[in-house]
Amino acid sequence: MTDQQITTQQQYLTFAVCDDDYAVPILRVKEIIAFDSVTRVPRTPSFIRGVINLRGSVVPVIDLAQKFGYPESRTTRSSCIVIVEMALDDKPIVLGVLVDAVNQVVDLLDEDIQEPPSFGTRVDIGFLVGMGRAGKKFVLILDIDKVLAASDVIAAADAAAPAEDLAGESAA
Amino acid sequence: MTDATLDDLLRVFFAEAEENLATMEQGLLALERMPADEETINTVFRVTHSLKGGAACVGFELVSDFAHVAEDLLDRIRDGSLRATTEIITALLLSVDTLRDLIRASAAGRTTLTADEESLADLIRRIAQHDSGAVEALKSATRRPAARGNALTRTVRVETERIDRMVDLSGEMAIALGRMRHVAETLPRATAEPLIETWHECERLFLDLQELVMKARMVPIGTLFAPFHRTVRDLAREREKTARLTVAGDDVEIDHDVADRLRDPITQLVRNAVDHGIESPDARAASGKEPCGQITMSAVRESGMIVIRIRDDGAGISRERVIAQATRHGVLQDSPILSDAETLALLFRPGFSTAHEINDVSGRGVGLDVVRRNVEALHGSVSIESIEGSGATFTIRLPLTLAIIDGFGVSVGDEQFVIPLPLVTECLQFPADARRDEAGGILDLRGEPLPFVRLGRLLGVAAPPSARENVVIVQCGDRRAGIAVDHLVGESPVVVKPMSELFRAVPGISGSAILGSGQVALILDVPVLLEELKEIA
Repeated sequence: MTDQQITTQQQYLTFAVCDDDYAVPILRVKEIIAFDSVTRVPRTPSFIRGVINLRGSVVPVIDLAQKFGYPESRTTRSSCIVIVEMALDDKPIVLGVLVDAVNQVVDLLDEDIQEPPSFGTRVDIGFLVGMGRAGKKFVLILDIDKVLAASDVIAAADAAAPAEDLAGESAA
Repeated sequence: MTDATLDDLLRVFFAEAEENLATMEQGLLALERMPADEETINTVFRVTHSLKGGAACVGFELVSDFAHVAEDLLDRIRDGSLRATTEIITALLLSVDTLRDLIRASAAGRTTLTADEESLADLIRRIAQHDSGAVEALKSATRRPAARGNALTRTVRVETERIDRMVDLSGEMAIALGRMRHVAETLPRATAEPLIETWHECERLFLDLQELVMKARMVPIGTLFAPFHRTVRDLAREREKTARLTVAGDDVEIDHDVADRLRDPITQLVRNAVDHGIESPDARAASGKEPCGQITMSAVRESGMIVIRIRDDGAGISRERVIAQATRHGVLQDSPILSDAETLALLFRPGFSTAHEINDVSGRGVGLDVVRRNVEALHGSVSIESIEGSGATFTIRLPLTLAIIDGFGVSVGDEQFVIPLPLVTECLQFPADARRDEAGGILDLRGEPLPFVRLGRLLGVAAPPSARENVVIVQCGDRRAGIAVDHLVGESPVVVKPMSELFRAVPGISGSAILGSGQVALILDVPVLLEELKEIA
């Protein structure tokens, strides 16, 4: 996806996952919905939170905190699902991303964005485009297409009965 | 002729037929006022003739034959041997209506005249032969209230995605209507009553709309069957046999998606029939059969299901060989006494025949487990009957549409699941004296052992053990088992949704469904779960 190549100025949606702030280009965000009931899908990796009914389509929801290896998070009243479109195997899919809270929309200029730090972040820098400054805080800019790789699909398919895995997730 | 050129021809024919029929009708009405107007007679005769030619060209024999009958009568008027009386004009106008119907019917695959149409054709023939009794008979003939309007089958090509979206939206609307009703019921009675009345009307209109949307997904099964004439012929030649395919019930409508997904399993069954069912012409002659093998493909609707049968009049299936083969490949361990049905069911077992040389020896069983899996993925079932020496019949039973299935809801903890209702045979309470901690085991069902599994444990659903469990007994082919769940939610139609690309294959889950509450529930892949159960129990 070329729109990840930051050229001049773009708008980003920032949101919180545990104590860190992340951002995605606003153009990739289709909508934001309040966290309601999610139907769990058994036999899938723990970062797959489940599926929701988005106006008649069944949309998977991933748990970023789980995916990025944060300690257990709890859903609260501020929890949201950010609906994004991303490429999986070069095919566009619609995906819900569970986040702890949605913060704001920020304008980021090219020069506001730096290379992602090679250490000091919890998340694998392979998932990041860079790091931006929004006000006084730093935000980690996600490369949303890389968050889910094709291997995750196969992992989902091969994850036959990881019952312990699911039991662990349900406490989250 | 390729499908595309046939489609083009049809499109041209429909447009021309429409014009020709309109010209005929107007001409006939003009003729009634001026019975001797030569130019009008000639025009009517010409358009009838051209309609006949066009119909013959696209293979609508009913239409061309009927037009021929009308043409004969017009010829008598043209040569002056008959006068265009009001009765004769009426007869011809009726034939215009009939031709309109016949074009529509031919497009849908009808190949015979109805009794009414037959008697009208007969009447016109008699009039043309100066049978005055016929003219009298016509006077008493009641004019059917023909579905007028100027449309023949006007067809518009619509992308399937659009229709799927309509199905989606109608599913959503059902849910929204449900909520509306719920809200209305919480209001004070005086306010609620007019609201509920309006709701009733919306609901009624909506159900009509939903039915129409569902119908838009349907295609005549003939479109699926037709190419197999060629397959049978070519395959038979390849095998130095002769075989003919006869098709019945090709106007039965079927979901387009189901039709697509049936193509492979039916191809497999047809290949099997030619390869292994039909004998060589010599062998057939020796056993007193026609040298040309007969394969019949038929479709009927039976109580909400579509039943497709593929029958051959070949050698049938040898039970001894099935058992020998199953034993050799380890599908059958010891040598139990099996009923005929149980023996034949072995053919569908995975591993019955995978290597190629086996099918040449065994006669049958090429990828029949694949056929079964394909059909079960459509929430259907497949079975075999065979009479040695006189052929085999494969029967595929399918729900009418994939978009809505009758589901049976169950829950484990907070999670709801849907079991396809046709697979459910009965439900019972979990026996109080049975152990509550194991993942599965054997239950005593009226003296018979019934293997069962706890759904929560099998799928790894985190839920505290329930004090009162229920068992849903499912039957799938020759296999029966119990699925223990916390609660039975009951049966209801559910709108089936494809799972995201992300879950291309979660074992044990065949899809998802949106419940009346708007929540998503997962549909259990019962055949796969039963397979797993076999490994546990």
